[in-house]
Amino acid sequence: MASLELRNVVKRYKSQTVLDNLSLSVADGETLVLFGPSGAGKTVLLRLVAGVIDPDEGKIFIGGEDMTDLDAEFRGVGMAFQNFALFPHMTAFDNIATPLQAKRSSQGAMKAGVESVAKLLKIGHVLSHKPRALSNGQKQRTALARALVGSPPVLLLDDPLRNVDAKLRFEMRLELPRLLADRGATVVYVTQDYKEAMALGDRIAVMSQGVIKQLGTPEQIYREPANIEIARLFGDPTINLLDVKPSRDAKGIYVGLSNVQVHLTGAYDATVGRDCVIGLRPEALRFVDEGTPAAIPVTVEAETPLNEKIVTLVRTVRGREILVSRPAGTPGQTEGRANIAVDGKSALLFDRASGDRIGSKNVVNLRSGEAA
Amino acid sequence: MEHTSLLERILRGIALTLVVVFFMFPIVWILMMSFQTNETILRIPPQLVFKPTLANYTALITGKLTTAAGTLDIAFMRNLWNSVFLSVTSVAVALLLGVPAAYAFARHKFRGSEDIAFTLLSFRFAPALLVLLPLTLYFQKLGLANTYIGLIWVYQLICLPLILWIVRGYFEDIPADIEYAYRIAGHSWFATFRKIALPLAGPGIAAAGLLAFIFAWNNFIFALVLASADKQPVTVGALAFITSSGIQYGQISAAIVLSITPTLALALYAQRYLVEGLSLGAVKG
Amino acid sequence: MSQSALTISGVDKFYGPIDRGVHAVQNLTMEIDKGEIVALLGSSGCGKTSTLRMIAGFEEVSRGTISVAGRKVHALPPVKRNVAMAFEGYSLYPPLTVRENIAFALKAARLPKSQVDAKVASIAKLLEIEDILERYPSSISGGQQQRASLGRALIREADLHLLDEPMGQLEPQLRAVLRGRIKHFIKERGLTAILVTHDQTEANALADRIAVMEGGVLQQFDTPDMLKQRPANLFTGTFVGEPPMNVFEAYVGTAADKINLRLPDGLSLDYDKDAFSGSVRDELLKRERVVIGIRPYAVRRSKDGVPATVSANQWLGDQTHIAADFAGGSLVLVEHDRTRLELGAPINISIDPKNLHVFDQSSGMAISHGMELA
Repeated sequence: MASLELRNVVKRYKSQTVLDNLSLSVADGETLVLFGPSGAGKTVLLRLVAGVIDPDEGKIFIGGEDMTDLDAEFRGVGMAFQNFALFPHMTAFDNIATPLQAKRSSQGAMKAGVESVAKLLKIGHVLSHKPRALSNGQKQRTALARALVGSPPVLLLDDPLRNVDAKLRFEMRLELPRLLADRGATVVYVTQDYKEAMALGDRIAVMSQGVIKQLGTPEQIYREPANIEIARLFGDPTINLLDVKPSRDAKGIYVGLSNVQVHLTGAYDATVGRDCVIGLRPEALRFVDEGTPAAIPVTVEAETPLNEKIVTLVRTVRGREILVSRPAGTPGQTEGRANIAVDGKSALLFDRASGDRIGSKNVVNLRSGEAA
Repeated sequence: MEHTSLLERILRGIALTLVVVFFMFPIVWILMMSFQTNETILRIPPQLVFKPTLANYTALITGKLTTAAGTLDIAFMRNLWNSVFLSVTSVAVALLLGVPAAYAFARHKFRGSEDIAFTLLSFRFAPALLVLLPLTLYFQKLGLANTYIGLIWVYQLICLPLILWIVRGYFEDIPADIEYAYRIAGHSWFATFRKIALPLAGPGIAAAGLLAFIFAWNNFIFALVLASADKQPVTVGALAFITSSGIQYGQISAAIVLSITPTLALALYAQRYLVEGLSLGAVKG
Repeated sequence: MSQSALTISGVDKFYGPIDRGVHAVQNLTMEIDKGEIVALLGSSGCGKTSTLRMIAGFEEVSRGTISVAGRKVHALPPVKRNVAMAFEGYSLYPPLTVRENIAFALKAARLPKSQVDAKVASIAKLLEIEDILERYPSSISGGQQQRASLGRALIREADLHLLDEPMGQLEPQLRAVLRGRIKHFIKERGLTAILVTHDQTEANALADRIAVMEGGVLQQFDTPDMLKQRPANLFTGTFVGEPPMNVFEAYVGTAADKINLRLPDGLSLDYDKDAFSGSVRDELLKRERVVIGIRPYAVRRSKDGVPATVSANQWLGDQTHIAADFAGGSLVLVEHDRTRLELGAPINISIDPKNLHVFDQSSGMAISHGMELA
């Protein structure tokens, strides 16, 4: 068990700054997800923690101890790599056993350790195979087993599900939380898949260009994204973004969408007359009957089912495109004219110039336990 | 596309045969000459049918060369031994020095590492004769002229750059993540070098070693200048067959056959190993 | 009613000698109507790409016939088939700009420049590549190349548009809206499109009908809804659907007026006999063992259900995925709300018989879907 802390870490490659004065702390037993596009610096951060590369500035603490100058083999972390990084000339058993070997475990302890973690990951039957004889899913599980086997207090998982197919990824995503919880390890998990990030992270750090842009629980990131960029990264289908200029009337602040006034709930007083962007999650929109107050008339362009949802692309009278999503099997409009209603409570408002979200305190906060 | 007609197959066969004949002709011809006497070799027109004789090989192995002008002592077996000793030792020394250096160049980009690596390679560019004159003078002063140590040292000019550059490429091809994974598992950098880098670059090291061996074996000019008769390899020793009474084609051929046999055998053996080793590719998904 | 855009009948593909080589596509017969969007769905090596290449003319047909718009084409060279194609590897012409790439076929057809420009502008707007029209393929990202390649295929007027893994590389943020626009584009113009994909999300989103292939054999050719509601066999049942269908082996028993499906760990799903039609009941009772399947979104939690233990609970913003230890295996539930359940929490599972899929244990063929025989 150990907490992890990075303090003002800087890493440069030649003239390029990959990590820019980054500080981050992960509590003991917490799973922190590093999420961001490739090139954001996520992998570099993991490697710094692992000790295989050194920071140019800053300190790294594991369990309160300064590890900055310690070589990788003395840090006692476990790591799984995106490309698995299995040793091609060793069997799966020997691959998994390498951390135990380094600890000079006895033959018996090694066998027991490898076999128990292999059983947990369901690869007990392929332990005698070399990596090239393993399927992709088995390789990925072997790599994970190698990271877990020594029960390291800190686990670094570098996009471990990226190179396996959708089905295995889904299966593993559901299996991982228990595996990690059983170990009680502090986990840093890197991914580019927002679903993995939301599913696995106690907290998510959204990274971009070597900087953490937002750090928060999945709820905070999804419901209160710091800016447009982050709002677009989370959610499938992507959030609808429409240019608006809020106004005020007797009932409060509203925005005009296709000549319909949609009133917003929240302290948006300062936004009147400003160039803004409204963000509407596709699942927060719904089809309504004609004549419903504040219903926006639209034309249905195409219906594209997505897993257990139906995603509908509609066009407003002003030609703007909006995506509407609803659970499969619920009523909706499949073609022709339709009306949609906007839930003013869940709408997000961003400043158009800076892209930052406006009114951080006023969005529905669901951290306390009620259903959405 | 996958259906090939009979005609296509015949044409392909003919083309392949022509290529094989073109490349194999010199070797086959030399092999045939090695079983003939000088008289039959020099017959005009040359004949494919002859009565084979082992006289050339006997002469080489016993060291007694009978010519029209009398019996000569030749040191061919001694030369062969010199070749083996010089080549093997040179390659061994070059591997010992070159493999760790290659690893350092591949994994640690320190300041000037590219320059040093290139300088080492540039030794191969220099015309040997140009280097030799000053080298001979130095060697004479240092007492290294006409010693095995001196020769092995000079042979590093041939072997070291080759090994360094080829092996470096192989080390670079090993994904850094694989080594990181071993380090993170708790092993020192030296253990990582021994247990991960060396085995994975094994085929490359073997290929480089083999190539260096062949180059060392075939070297002529260094040994010609720096070694006297008792330290000479076969390449230089073959000069002895140009005698006052004419060129001993039969013996030269036999000498060539004997001297290429080890390298040929080595290459054939290693080829299988190299191809197999190169397809280790279980690194990625 | 509508005319057939593509007819494939009795097509075999062998790599190597006929009847002895690798049998990549086996006796494939399908008919695609004009104006339809059809997806060939399967994992790698299932024969979908061979099929596409045979339609396009890049691969010889070993046996059988292929007709496009009523014309037998399987012996014609690709250029004479009037088929447009977007390639998986994009295959943009590197010395041409994106604009020239897209306009290539139109120029070859000697369309007036003003028309070409208008068409390129409209497709570029649709695919959001207006700003890169003057760039060269090597200087744009994979996602942009894929969009350019799609544009080049869609702009053509052809009897058939073939799209090979058309959206795999698209930027995730653009995917949903581009799917909608492309589907609208195809439908509006009445084009006939065949897309080959391993990604069922893509197939489901775009296709009117999906042909599921495996091992060179067409497993089922039906609408996305029917594939989910009435999978022909265990393969399609578990292959189509995300998250995949939960499957368990069960022993069929009967007591009083109940039918019991006994699962491992001493669990049993008990149904009134009336829950199934008479013929389904007979089919079930004929067998000792069956495989039952239940879609994750059809699993309900209820007080009087069969006990299970939560092993994962993952909220994805608009859905919650829950995994539970159940009957010696793992059961996945999807709920559309934010569900809060601690790891290890006991829940009770109930499965409505109308959502139950039953498969034969040995052949894998479907026996029943809900109350109906398969």
